[in-house]
Order: sequence, then structure tokens, then C-alpha cells
Amino acid sequence: MNNPVIIKGNKYGIVVVLDAEMEFGELKEKISEKFRDSAKFFDNAQMAISFEGRKLTNEEQRDILNIIADETELHVVCVIEDDPKKEEVFKKALDEKLMELSNTTGQFYKGNLRSGQVLESETSIIVIGDVNPGARIVSKGNIIVLGALKGTVFAGATGNTNSFVLALDLNPVQIRIADTIARSPDKPVKDSVKETKIAFLEDGNIYIEPLSKEVLNDINI
Amino acid sequence: MGEVIVITSGKGGVGKTTTTANVGTGLAKLDKKVVLVDTDIGLRNLDVVMGLENRIVYNLVDVIEGNCRIKQALIKDKRYPNLYLLPSAQTRDKTSVTPEQMQKLAEELKEEFDYILMDCPAGIEQGFKNAIAGADRALVVTTPEVSAVRDADRIIGLLEANEMKQAHLIVNRLRNDMVKRGDMMSSTDVVEILAIDLIGVVPDDENIVISTNQGEPLVGSDTLAGQAYMNICKRILGEEVPYLDLNGKQGLFSKLASLLKKN
Repeated sequence: MNNPVIIKGNKYGIVVVLDAEMEFGELKEKISEKFRDSAKFFDNAQMAISFEGRKLTNEEQRDILNIIADETELHVVCVIEDDPKKEEVFKKALDEKLMELSNTTGQFYKGNLRSGQVLESETSIIVIGDVNPGARIVSKGNIIVLGALKGTVFAGATGNTNSFVLALDLNPVQIRIADTIARSPDKPVKDSVKETKIAFLEDGNIYIEPLSKEVLNDINI
Repeated sequence: MGEVIVITSGKGGVGKTTTTANVGTGLAKLDKKVVLVDTDIGLRNLDVVMGLENRIVYNLVDVIEGNCRIKQALIKDKRYPNLYLLPSAQTRDKTSVTPEQMQKLAEELKEEFDYILMDCPAGIEQGFKNAIAGADRALVVTTPEVSAVRDADRIIGLLEANEMKQAHLIVNRLRNDMVKRGDMMSSTDVVEILAIDLIGVVPDDENIVISTNQGEPLVGSDTLAGQAYMNICKRILGEEVPYLDLNGKQGLFSKLASLLKKN
């Protein structure tokens, strides 16, 4: 291999590809050389680092990190191991955390959503205004409409079954919570009273109920 | 400086052209200098409704392409000296004009006229974008049918996205007897969904068909629709006019009463 140390960038930071054959002492020199050359380029960026191409013991890893610290201003935030299993675990943990976050944090939208308009959100969403037929809201968390909801809504878009939909006048064309879909009756119910209602998921069914104290107590955000 | 008003709807066949003709004629009756612009390139009919078809020499595309001056393309109305029509081209399509060109045209017309009414084609394609390009305010026409209201809603959304300062609603072809039976949406229902200000309700009136076929707008005439259009014109000018009582046909008695009121 004519280039024993290769530095590549990825989404989170850099990947250092190391020669598998070379003797470690010699490799260390190459590494310090390489990082010295590129110190200017990295400046004092913060990034994660991962190693490829060679199995490293903890000691060897520490040696390399020390070299990087000596030669550059780079802040290594963490070392990522190239292990699909662990990655999967991390991803799951991250997703769960994000899902929790999307449920508890929210964003506001002021104005009427009209036919053909789509509002998508990573977090819960509170609409101050009406959602008209033909409009659509997709949220990973909850959807709250301070107005009339007559369009299509999709709460818990990434599969969060604890999500709910709440509106001052809940009369949607279609409601989706996680993987469950409910639609409005084909013949509209005449003379239905306008009251604040909440739609939630229970035992695989979507229930719509007037907002009462008991229902409120059952919600866990 | 004049004001540019675009008359639009989303759905076709709800009465944009009839509204343009009547509102334009009404404003002219109220001593405003008005020009009606038919922006529906490819299909034109405002000239037919106005009864001016046989006088067309030049059209909108001729003006924009510089084949003639604006003055040459404007057709003076046969009844009102301060009412003009700029007809659309029929042999071209909507892509022959850009929104920027329409905006420039609107600016030029503003210097000459008090009101410039743009009759918008149905739909949300290029023609719609052209028609709203230079407009200061919009009149959204809908009939009390779910499909028309839905499309009107989409149009209002697009107008808002294009930062239209003012949009008003005209509910056209309302049949009061059907509303009473609960078979038709009332104007209140429509306003509730669309959530923009109402500027007029026009009842379903067979005189409209007659007037359209004769090329004589009926605004201001002694029909319910004629009065409704006149009221819309007055509201455009900023007057506060009470809404018409559309309850059934006007009896002799109420007609007498309204005559007395006028005097």
C-alpha cells in the first residue's frame, strides 16, 4: 500500500483508514506526519473519529489520539467503532430519544392551512387557525389544532402510538396515528355539536372523545 | 394610480367571466374609468359576454409582443364611455405570456384607469400566475358546492403564498330555497370554511343567462342578481352596503317599500 494513512470525511467527522500490514511504530510516524500536514485544514473543528482497516487495541488507539492531540488543534469528541451491531443499538437509542423529544417539544404554526397545503414537522405541532379539507399535517409527535380540523392529519408519523390529535372542532377527513388509519363517516353526521375533542390510539383503534378530565388524565406526554 | 383586481376561482364554470363583466360595468356606471382584461389566453369569452366580439382587431398577446400599442387593442364599450376591454388571444396558448410581462402591462394600465379587472382562467397553471402577477387585490368567486369551495380554498392559499394583500369572496348562484331546506351550503357556511371576508352574495337568477346571451351585463337592473352585483361594486369602492334580503321572490309589497325607501 503506497498510502498507509488515509483520512476520509463522513457525516459525523473523519474516518482514518490505516494500513493493516505496517508495523505499529512505523505507522505512528506516518500518522503524525499525515496529521501535521492537514492540521491547518482541520483547524479547531469538533468531530467524531473512527478507525478502519486495522484492528487496534485500546492502547494503540490512545496512542493515535495522543498524536492527533499533539499535532493538531482538532477536538475529538468521541471515537466511533465500526461495528454494525453497536451502531444498531445506538441508532435505536437515538431514535427513542428523538421520539420522546418530538412528543414533548412542539412548534407553532399560525394561519389557516388550505386545500393542497402540507405541514410536516419533526416535533409536535400546534396550529393556531383552521385546517381545511384537502390540507394535510404530518407530525412525528402530537397535533393540536386551535380551530377547526377538517383536513387529513397524521400524528406519530414514525410509529409513536402514544401520539394524539386534539382540535377545538375535530372533524377530519382522515386521521392517522402511528400505523392506524381512521376516516370520517361517508355520510356526515348532521347537527353534531362543535366541541373540543381528542383522538387517541388504544388497542389498535382510534378513539375520538370529548376532552374531559378523565381523558386528560390518561394522556402521557 | 388605479387598482388592479383579479377575479379568480379555481374551479371552472362558477361565474368568473360573468362577475368580471358585471362588476366592471357596474364600476363604470359609478363613473370610474375601467378596463377589463381577459387573461384566459387560448379561450376567450369576456368579449362575448360583453357583446364586443365583433370589434376585436388586436389582443393581449399583440400588446405584449409589441405588435400594437395598448390604445389600439383596447375596445371601447358600446354603452359606457369609460369602460374598455382588452381581449385575449385565441390562437395562442398561456405560455406566450410571462408573469413579468403581465406585471408591466398592469403598471401601464394603472396610469390610465381607475380599475383594471383581470378575468383569470380556471386552474392554477401558468394562466393563473399571469393573471395574479400585477394584481393588488383579488375577488374569489365560488358557488356553494363542495368542489368549488375546495378549489377556492386552494386558490386562496396560493394567493396568500403570493402575498396578495386583499382577497374577498363572492358566493355566486346561491339558491335560498335550497339553503332553507338544508340542501345547499349557505353563504355563512362557505365563509366559515374559507375564512376570508365576504364582499357579495349573488343569487341564482335566470336573468343572468339571458343577459350573458345578449351580451348586456345586467348590473344595476331591477333583478336580484343585478342589485347584488351593484352592491358588490359599491363595496369595492368602500361603501358600506347592507346585504340583500334573498328570501324568495320580492313581492309587490316589498318592492313598493323599497321604491319608497329610494325616494
